Amino acid sequence: MSNENKKWFSLNLNRSKKTDSCGCGNNSGSCSDQKEKDGYDQIMDVPMDRRAAFKKITAGFLIGAGAVNSSCSVISGDESKEKANIEWEEYFKGNYKLMTNEEKDKTVDRLTRSYELRTGKNLSMSSKDAEEDVLFGYAFNISKCQGYMDCVNACVEENNQDRATEMQYIRIHEMDEGKGFNFEESDDNYYHEVPADGHFYMGTQCFHCDNPPCVEVCPVQATWKEKDGIVVIDYDWCIGCRYCMAACPYDGRRFNWKTPEVPEKEVNKKQHYLGNRLRKKGVMEKCTFCIQRSREGQNPACVEACPTGSRTFGNLLDPKSNIRWILDNKKVFRLKEDLGTEPKFWYYMD
Amino acid sequence: MKTLKVFRSLVKDAMLEVTHGNRAYHIWMAVLSFIMLFGMYNYSIQLDEGLSATGMTDRVSWGLYISNFTFLVGVAAAAVMLVLPAYVLKNVDFKQAVLIGEGLAVAALLMCLAFVVADMGGPARLWHMIPGIGVFNFPNSMLAWDVIVLNGYLFINITIPLYILMMRYQGKTPNPKVYIPGVFLSVFWAVGIHMVTAFLYQGLQARPFWNNALLGPRFLASAFAAGPALIIIVLAIIRKFTSFKVPDTTIKKISMIVTVAAQINLIMLISELFKEFYAPTHHSISAVYLFFGLNGKTALLPWIWTSISLNVIATIALTFHKIRNNLKILYVLCGMLFVAIWIEKGFGLIVPGFIPGPWGKIAEYTPTFVEISVTLGIWAMGAFIFTILAKTGIAVELGQRVYKKK
Amino acid sequence: MTTKLILRLMAICLFVVSCKHEEKHKYHTVVDKIVAETIESENTTLTSEIYNEGIKTVTVNEDGYDFLIPERKSQIASYNCTECHTEPIENLKQHQLDEKAAHWNIKLVHASAETMNCATCHTSSDMDNLHSLTNSTIDFNYSYKVCSQCHQQEFKDWKGGAHGKQLGGWAPPRLSKTCVNCHNPHQPAFEKRWPVRFNTQKVKERK
Repeated sequence: MSNENKKWFSLNLNRSKKTDSCGCGNNSGSCSDQKEKDGYDQIMDVPMDRRAAFKKITAGFLIGAGAVNSSCSVISGDESKEKANIEWEEYFKGNYKLMTNEEKDKTVDRLTRSYELRTGKNLSMSSKDAEEDVLFGYAFNISKCQGYMDCVNACVEENNQDRATEMQYIRIHEMDEGKGFNFEESDDNYYHEVPADGHFYMGTQCFHCDNPPCVEVCPVQATWKEKDGIVVIDYDWCIGCRYCMAACPYDGRRFNWKTPEVPEKEVNKKQHYLGNRLRKKGVMEKCTFCIQRSREGQNPACVEACPTGSRTFGNLLDPKSNIRWILDNKKVFRLKEDLGTEPKFWYYMD
Repeated sequence: MKTLKVFRSLVKDAMLEVTHGNRAYHIWMAVLSFIMLFGMYNYSIQLDEGLSATGMTDRVSWGLYISNFTFLVGVAAAAVMLVLPAYVLKNVDFKQAVLIGEGLAVAALLMCLAFVVADMGGPARLWHMIPGIGVFNFPNSMLAWDVIVLNGYLFINITIPLYILMMRYQGKTPNPKVYIPGVFLSVFWAVGIHMVTAFLYQGLQARPFWNNALLGPRFLASAFAAGPALIIIVLAIIRKFTSFKVPDTTIKKISMIVTVAAQINLIMLISELFKEFYAPTHHSISAVYLFFGLNGKTALLPWIWTSISLNVIATIALTFHKIRNNLKILYVLCGMLFVAIWIEKGFGLIVPGFIPGPWGKIAEYTPTFVEISVTLGIWAMGAFIFTILAKTGIAVELGQRVYKKK
Repeated sequence: MTTKLILRLMAICLFVVSCKHEEKHKYHTVVDKIVAETIESENTTLTSEIYNEGIKTVTVNEDGYDFLIPERKSQIASYNCTECHTEPIENLKQHQLDEKAAHWNIKLVHASAETMNCATCHTSSDMDNLHSLTNSTIDFNYSYKVCSQCHQQEFKDWKGGAHGKQLGGWAPPRLSKTCVNCHNPHQPAFEKRWPVRFNTQKVKERK
């Protein structure tokens, strides 16, 4: 292919023909191309019976200890009974990745009901799956970013991040123009008029790697890559070991060191199970490309908030999308490409 | 049926054994219990507030707990150094030490598991890891491997000594055909637990300080220095306070193992330092931070230089037969080596892996009071378990407790 | 015996690993994947139409790029211009000697005075439209045509989607802001201002 002689990266759309072999010319070998479940997934096809048994055993123990007063007591009200029941069901639910649609609906119902019981307010929670023929990608124009941080604000509000510890998914690095991409000497917590002379700005967040090291290391598969390329976390399945955090080369992950605080009137009530629903203490979270928005066709909050147009989001598989034009026509690069993580987050300059 | 009866009797005897002792023993156990309770109290604070009660942050997301976990895996693995010659090479000298060593391994493993649980953000959700009812990310996650190998090792190290004790308890000779395969397995397994634990860090391309082919072998070398060093100290204490006979030759043989391992460890340290500082790249920044400090941030400097000085002095001194064969000096040197490796494999390995962060930012780590208390509590738990195991084991070995047919 | 067992175990491990490898690395890079899985036609069910509702749009069709931009004329406060500009500007100036001039707040900070003045884009002969350098008429709704005369690289990037900003959502149909939705044509540069937030916790963490 003549394109391989190019000195910079470009996507020639016309050569794109579906091929069965991988780029090296090897056709698929001993393993079939169809998505096969590995051994544990196969076992997990029948998880409910076993978990149900586990639930019953635990219930037996607890009743013996008299610890389920709240759920069994005759005196307590219907609401507190229901609350306890929801907590009980929630504790024993399975990994979202392996749930059937019916189970997904049930847990979403429980979570919305539980919020209603707690606050008297309603929220809408989606469990929408990935769309066919969609692979999300993101491009960031470092010539355009002025460092205003409107994206950070929008992200915090959209995704119900903890206000007390000022958790932020996005970091904007202020770099010296003469020093190139020198993260060591850059400042990601500046507070002065921007853009400062002789500086440029570069945003980082979760890059939704196509080969994500964080997913590999999770001992319980609480984090995984969805079909549309978004790396998500099941907050209720995460055990909080923080191995993924150590494995991420991009500082993309955040941990809830204590119970997150979001004032009730600031809570974004348009939620997705894998996205901005309220988290609890001791679990990981991170950017999900605003899954509650992007799966509905909208842009992530940061893209929408950016006043300079530095941020572009779109479907990498759509040859007419803006993101594809950027990949095809601009000199794009990614951070730490040598690590083989294949981020779906490209940088470019004018 | 009969085995069960013997076992029940053994447990009963063990209960009697561990509840009786002289005043020093009772004080020792009382102090340990107090520290354990204090640790548990602080753990309850941590459970209540979340891990914000510790000094860990998004920047340094593993701290004292994981440091101690890493170190103790090494201690547990080191039991094999005694198992191998004792059982297979019929080296009588070692046999007394082996029960102690395996008891130490069991205690260390339980401490490891306790440290991992203490480090979890959601310990109540740990059942998600149990195969069958949870989801286990095997073989992709090294942590999943680690859970398997640690629990497997724990199982092996409980069954083999238990079998031997049961036999001795009944006044029989243990059958080598029964325990030799187990011993073989445990030998490979011990190397496995430490390599897998090293791979846990080594496999992370995100952390150049850990992503280093020497990490696994160096874990082994340091473990085989620190573990037997601890065993020597423990044997010395047992010799002093009980009637259990441990000949000088046993201790001297173990000190040989310590010496060789410490020498190999030192060579590997030099190799690492050479690689980091002869042609430093931006991957060497963590090492610069660890050994010299970065941008005025120097929290680890006193620790690592203490560790290196102790390590070098102890290793050089151990190299000379004359010094090594003086038991009093040997105990001191073993203590020095133990502390040196505890720092090196703990603070000196885990914390600098996170500093500076992926984008070059430095946030230092200082453990909080809660964290230190929980850590002390878990160490006390380990000592408590080991004391119980050792006391029972010694009583059976000495024939003080035997199975009485009714 | 033991060695045989170990070898067999290793073989199984290798098999497992290699199998996993092929499943996961069907493509060497994400770019290979994009190229191979690109869709021929827009067959996604998602659409941005609901988000574009309420924005009056006009269609742009330039060099094979089809997309929408916000309609402009209805957004200009005093359009049509000819409602005031009924006579030549010189005459208007004479009428308003004591009063504040209309458009008093417009200060041109766009290129140098040698390159640009009011008449570069506006013409007194046709106040309701813009005009190009060669004096052909340009509709206010398509003001990008005025800008693109000089800013060719930006124009190219804007058409493709690398410059500017998308309104609505990522899903088709594409609705992009036009030049004047972000840049004031009279003072096109972005202003300096303070960042909207400062993280106090980070400071504590890095003390």
